[in-house]
Formats: sequence, C-alpha cells, structure tokens
Amino acid sequence: MSIGVLVGIFLSVALVNNLVLAGFLGICPFLGVSRKVDMAFGMGCAVTFVITISGVVTWLIVHAILTPIGNAIGNPGALYFLKYVAFIMVIASMVQLVEMYLKKFFPPLYTAFGVFLPLITTNCAILGACLYIDMKPETQNLLNAAVYAFGGGLGFMLAITIMAGIREHVRFSDVPKCLQGAGITLLVAGILALAFTGFTGIGK
Amino acid sequence: MAKEVSNLEQFKDGVLGNNPVLVQLLGMCPTLAVTNSLENALVMGMAATFVVVMSNLITSTLRNLIKPHVRILIFTLTIATFVTIADLTLKAYIFEVSKKLGAFVPLIIVNCMIICRAEVVAIKKGVAKSLADAFGIGIGFTLALSILGVVREILGSGTLMNRQVLPDAFLDGHTWVIMVLPPGAFLTLGVVVGVVNHVRARGAKGGAA
Repeated sequence: MSIGVLVGIFLSVALVNNLVLAGFLGICPFLGVSRKVDMAFGMGCAVTFVITISGVVTWLIVHAILTPIGNAIGNPGALYFLKYVAFIMVIASMVQLVEMYLKKFFPPLYTAFGVFLPLITTNCAILGACLYIDMKPETQNLLNAAVYAFGGGLGFMLAITIMAGIREHVRFSDVPKCLQGAGITLLVAGILALAFTGFTGIGK
Repeated sequence: MAKEVSNLEQFKDGVLGNNPVLVQLLGMCPTLAVTNSLENALVMGMAATFVVVMSNLITSTLRNLIKPHVRILIFTLTIATFVTIADLTLKAYIFEVSKKLGAFVPLIIVNCMIICRAEVVAIKKGVAKSLADAFGIGIGFTLALSILGVVREILGSGTLMNRQVLPDAFLDGHTWVIMVLPPGAFLTLGVVVGVVNHVRARGAKGGAA
C-alpha cells in the first residue's frame, strides 16, 4: 500500500468528485446552513468528524460482522440485506455518542456545534459516503476507507464554506424578486459546481 | 362527506400548493442527482412514492403505540426497511436503471421529505388522511423530478425517454452537455424554482385584486 494511492483517494473525493458539488450529497445543509461563514465552518467540522467515525465503523460492520457471519452460514452476502438498516443505526448512534462525549469533555466545542450535531443524522453526505465506501473497489481496506471518509468530510467543509462566503456578498446585490432566496442560491451553486468540474482529470 | 373533501385537499396540497421539491425545498439530493433523464426521474419518483406511502401507513397505524422520545428512531427504521424492499425490487426487475440510480436508492432513507411527512402528518392523523397526504407528496415529488428530467434530457442529450426529439442539426455536436452534468442540475432547479415563485406571486396578486 503506497502513500500515492491514499493521496489519490483523498484528492479524488475532496475535489474531483466532491460529495456536494459533483455527487449531490448533503444538499440540504449546503443550502440551509450556508448563510454565514462561521456557521458553515462549524457545520463542516461537525460533518467531517462524524463522517470519519461512521465511515470506519460501517466498514467494520460490513467486514467484521456481516461478512464473517455470512461466511459461517456459507453465503458471504447472506446478511447484506441488513446493510441499510445497520448503517443508519450506526450513524444515528454515532451522532448521539459524539454529542454526549463532546458535552462531557469539550463543552466549548459542544456549544459551538449547537443544533448542528443532531441535524447531521439526516445529512445524506454521511450515509452516502458510507455507501460509496461499501461499493467502491479501492476502499476495501480499512485505511483507504478512513482516508476516503475524511477526504469526503473536508470536501464538504470546503464547499459549504465557499458557498457561505459567496452568499454573504450576494445579500448586498440586487437579485430579481422571484429568484431571491433559494433560486439565486441554486444558481450560485451551479456556477460553483461548474468551477469544480475544472478539477476533472486530477487523479482519477 | 366533509372528511372526503379534506382528504382530497390534503392530496392536492402535496402535489401543487406545498410541492415538496419546488416549494418546501425538501429532498434536494435525489432531485438534483437523478434527473439527467426522464426515465431515471420517473423511477426515482415511484420508488420514493412507494416508501412515503408505506412509511405513512405504518406510522399512522402505530401512532398510539409509539412513544414520543423514540419516534425518530422508529421512523428511520420503518423507512430503511421499505427502502431495502424498494432497492431489491428495482435490482430484480429493472437492473439497468437501478445501476444508474446507484447509491441514490438507499439514500431515500435520509430523504428529509419522507421523515417530515411522518413527523408532521402520520404521527398525528388517521390512516386515510395520512395515505392521502403520502400519495399527494409522492406524486408532487415525481412531478417536480419529471419537470427537471424533461428539461435536462432534451437540452443535454436531445432525447426524451431515450427517443430522439431534437433535429440532427442540434445533436451534431451542439448538445448542451453541461445540462446532464452536475452544474446543469443546480442551474435548472434554480430557474424552475424562480419560475414557480414568479407564478405564485402573480397568482397571489391576482387573487387579491
């Protein structure tokens, strides 16, 4: 396992196949929590945190629980129908766990994340990243999976922070009435996505 | 008799007045991701409709047994179960389309539109009302997805349901490839939301005058 493969995976998921702008994951917080840069950054940090943990734990669930039990029965895929239910349970309980841990040991961080933490359960970037880790051939070992999840989280943070930066300026511009709010935000996201297509060709 | 009318109104409200995608801006991820062709949009819409109808049915039937503090967990697990059923069914009968939709079928689990219906309607109202609401929301979702699918497929590939609809001169290297790529999704949805807002604002003004 060379470091080059890891860098490739990282760049691919953070920039080229950015979860938000190329993969359409986590659009709800991307549109909803991107009004101010500091809020967007907080959300980005919380997501990166949870996505990394959930990515690793769901990988362990598939490779250390579902597959071995399936093997014992004689069919490796026998329990794969449980995947989705197991994944969403892991994510929901991870979010809860992270919330309790932060509350006890890092109260300032807990207050900073505020309402974002519970919201992350329904952030599809997290479940999406876990599903992609499960599907892609190059993330079938634990280290690659962890790097993929971490890169995905950072990519989300990058996208939502840039978006918030732009929206702070859009507030002062003269937007046609019917496009105010969601309309102009989506158009800005479109142009941002257009810019991100410029990364195509880096890595794979 | 009065109840029947209100069911119908609940249904209509989901399709038009409170369209989940175009007005409430819920369930954006599949809306943007799978609307590069009308076929994908329709299949996605039908899968989501199935899940929202079944989840509303179960939640509404069990609404007196569900304790408030575990309700979100129950909603999520109910939805995840029906999404698994939908995913396996799609894989069994229309494998090609299911492959194109990829991770977005399992991602129906975290579609906020569905959990929102369970929380707002199914946990409080009777089975008939919840079903009417679920059908309305599901069809409204499918409608919004189809609008985007039609626009993006015609402009991006010059086809509709995989049949060529634009003249060869347009197809000969002049298709707007950008419309089937991610940026096209954001731009199209932005414009469609703008148009819907414009029409609604005009309607409100006309009603007042």
